[in-house]
Amino acid sequence: MAHFRKKASRKTQISTSSLPDIVFLLLFFFMVSATIKPNAELLAYKVPNAENLVKPEMKFLIKELVIGFPKSQKLGVTSRISDGKRYLEIKDIAQWATAAKAELPENYKDQMIVLLKADADVDMGLIADIQEQLREVDARKVLYRTSESTTDPIQ
Amino acid sequence: MKIRKRKHDQEVNTGSMADIAFLLLIFFLVATTLLQEKGLDLQLPRKKEDNSTSPPIKERNLFKVMVNSRQEILIEGEYRKDLVGLRDEIKAFVLNNGKQEHLSESPKKATISLKTSRGTKYASFIQVLDELKAAYFEIYAENIGLTKKEYLKLKQSDPQQNQLYLKSKEGIPMNISIAEPTI
Repeated sequence: MAHFRKKASRKTQISTSSLPDIVFLLLFFFMVSATIKPNAELLAYKVPNAENLVKPEMKFLIKELVIGFPKSQKLGVTSRISDGKRYLEIKDIAQWATAAKAELPENYKDQMIVLLKADADVDMGLIADIQEQLREVDARKVLYRTSESTTDPIQ
Repeated sequence: MKIRKRKHDQEVNTGSMADIAFLLLIFFLVATTLLQEKGLDLQLPRKKEDNSTSPPIKERNLFKVMVNSRQEILIEGEYRKDLVGLRDEIKAFVLNNGKQEHLSESPKKATISLKTSRGTKYASFIQVLDELKAAYFEIYAENIGLTKKEYLKLKQSDPQQNQLYLKSKEGIPMNISIAEPTI
């Protein structure tokens, strides 16, 4: 009985004043992360490894394309392209690039970087078709997203 | 009766809420990948119409690397099992300055052509492109007396570092050309 009383008195001492802080922290976190990744990814992809990576200085120039395999089996097993929001066909790429370019400030329009996030198992044929379309609308800077390999595969 | 009820309310442990919230926070921090923009950059050639007007490149100024749909590598017409030594060959090719007959005339004219077939896996393409980049970065780094790692960390936004960066590239453009894939 004495033991029980002791426990109860200790519980009343816990301060809950920090709880709102924590909730706000969570809230802010979700708000921030929501702007970074606005949509669920439609495609599954695993980028290949490379060693000699560069990092563009101006992040706002980057526009993303994902090339991977559909997560849902209903959509088949062939590789598809998406811009993060919806699926794109090869013929849509030029239009997408033009639209993406229009979002940039006038003096940076020719410097748009297309970030290709492609699965390691995707065929080069598809990548080449995309590049062909990008060349048509003069969006010629591409960045192949790769993860960093820590060990040099050759030497 | 009322008093007892109030006592019951006080027993709810809200102290662990913080732990739960932090656990969630840490989970999402780990699970969410932010926009990662590191990668291999490349400048695509101009539109096809413009391409036809450009003069043909001399055979000696062209270093050909091909990867077929069985991921087999052909370097300068020679079958290779792996990419061992490719980096040094490219460095020798680019920095030849007309010394050897079969290598490039000058770094400016030297062009590396990377050709894939439609069935080539993207991973193989990246692997080769990575080597080509490595060769050029090593040349650039040596120009200003840095290691490749130090070179890749140079920040262009910093004027002093940008100067070094531009100096390293002087006269040696990175001419990596991606030919259209064959079927």
